[in-house]
Amino acid sequence: MLKRIIAGTKLAFGLQRPGRNLVVLPDDVFIVSYPKSGNTWTRFLIGNLIHPRSPADFSNINLIIPDPEGLSKRQLARMPRPRYIKSHQYFDPRYPKVIYVVRDPRDVALSQYHFHRKRKLLADGASVEQFISRFVAGKTSPYASWGENVASWVATRSGRPGFLLLRYEDMIEDTIRELAKVADFLGLDASKEQLAHAVARSSAHEMKRLEQKQALLWSSTKETRQDVPFVRAAKPGGWKSELSESSVREIESAWAGLMKSLNYALRFDRADTAGKDRDAVLSRVLR
Amino acid sequence: MIYGAKRILRYLLGTDIAGRTLAVYPDDTFIVSYPRSGNTWTRFLVANLLHPEEPATFANIERLVPDSEAQSSRYLRRVSRPRVIKSHQHFDPRYRRVIYVVRDPRDVALSYYDFERKYRHIDDAYPLQDYVSDFVCGRLSSAGWGTWGENVGSWLSTRRGRKDFLLLRYEDMLANPALEVAKIAAFFGIDAERVRGAVERSSVQRMRGLEKVQGKDWVSTKNKRSDIPFVGAAASGHWKSKLPADSIQEIESAWGPLLAALGYELATAQPECGELLQMFSSSVQRALSRKRI
Repeated sequence: MLKRIIAGTKLAFGLQRPGRNLVVLPDDVFIVSYPKSGNTWTRFLIGNLIHPRSPADFSNINLIIPDPEGLSKRQLARMPRPRYIKSHQYFDPRYPKVIYVVRDPRDVALSQYHFHRKRKLLADGASVEQFISRFVAGKTSPYASWGENVASWVATRSGRPGFLLLRYEDMIEDTIRELAKVADFLGLDASKEQLAHAVARSSAHEMKRLEQKQALLWSSTKETRQDVPFVRAAKPGGWKSELSESSVREIESAWAGLMKSLNYALRFDRADTAGKDRDAVLSRVLR
Repeated sequence: MIYGAKRILRYLLGTDIAGRTLAVYPDDTFIVSYPRSGNTWTRFLVANLLHPEEPATFANIERLVPDSEAQSSRYLRRVSRPRVIKSHQHFDPRYRRVIYVVRDPRDVALSYYDFERKYRHIDDAYPLQDYVSDFVCGRLSSAGWGTWGENVGSWLSTRRGRKDFLLLRYEDMLANPALEVAKIAAFFGIDAERVRGAVERSSVQRMRGLEKVQGKDWVSTKNKRSDIPFVGAAASGHWKSKLPADSIQEIESAWGPLLAALGYELATAQPECGELLQMFSSSVQRALSRKRI
């Protein structure tokens, strides 16, 4: 009851962080991904593209590309429109325009392991293998499992107008090329120079430098361990050396089809299932 | 402001409609479907399977299999556990055990058109063809549940093939209720002997009779137009004679591959999806034909 009164008072003044209950406006654009899949980098890229005169950093990113988990309902309602909003939510039919960033789940798992250490949810030296089992079961995140989050968006929206699917690995490979897709999707007329400028300002090097100065100013990092960085490896394939064989097998067998349809080559692809995989087809079949 | 105050007061008293904010327990089972897809019939079937001593009616169904979209969060907290809950929500990861009922969207659209008139969301003069466009684009009072394709796609893509997900086709339930209801019984671990009685007590004749007497009091039908029944045609394929050709085309071009994967034959030519579609299709077929849970 007391909990309800506190929550009710917050509701009355619009002070609650809306999260999934965000009031969606028809001209909103959402930057959606599973956690630890390059969402913050994408926010920086887009923020720097839209506002070339005020570089994105950790003190202003929540004003440029707000986070419904980090700001109050009241603050979100007062944002200038169109709003560009960060989200980790699994499928929400109200989101009108979505940029979805997907990343190899083997790297996502590893990155989340370190993020949970940073957030003091895991002790240093906690078993990675146990964490991976919980990750696969969707128990390490309120945003469903990686496969559920990705599939729920890809199966409902991919191939339709108002949906742009980006792979984190492609963004690393050629950031300007992928950011040009974003500019096109948003209807922004961006020159090669403007794109390059935004990319340079959002580099891992620059973001690491900003994090060192501003980690205590940002809602996502201020109450966390300062000795574990938020901006981490920023490169693909770390799982190859850091995940055990059984962890890799566990992830691959949970989402084999979905991973393959997203062009993530499996290390342990069972020949007998390769041709007739169940989930492989989902994304493209459902367009 | 008044609206806001009312909402907050409701929240404090726990009289807010549970909907998506429902507190989920690990032992809950959900009967999920898009609206007008046989959910109420499935609720009756499940209630009659679980409670053979108490035949389901519109007067007790909210206690036996409560509706998370019509009941308050307070009410749902007080239902005895394990609960079986009705829902129209698109994918929600908190739902552990799910029976998902899917129905041909061409029939869903027709049935939904009548339902929206019953609820006075549209009047009788509203053209069916315009309504179908609303249905396909998600411009409906039900937009919060996604479009038909989003609702079905969000569940199938995330849960298909899992042990705690039972996929049923409304058309199969109509054609062979004993077989399909046996799957439900197995899902709940109930003796198959109860299937026949449950099917009889959930017949469309009985439900229509109950609606006539109890419709004015049931939460989903009270204060709605009584000249349009809630229990609809309870048939499949009416779209073939009743939907305009353009509307059929519109639905099929929006969700052609998903329709085909679910075994709903297309009436119009749609772009070939080739091998991928066949693979998806066969996996859905496997999920549908699964006999053992």
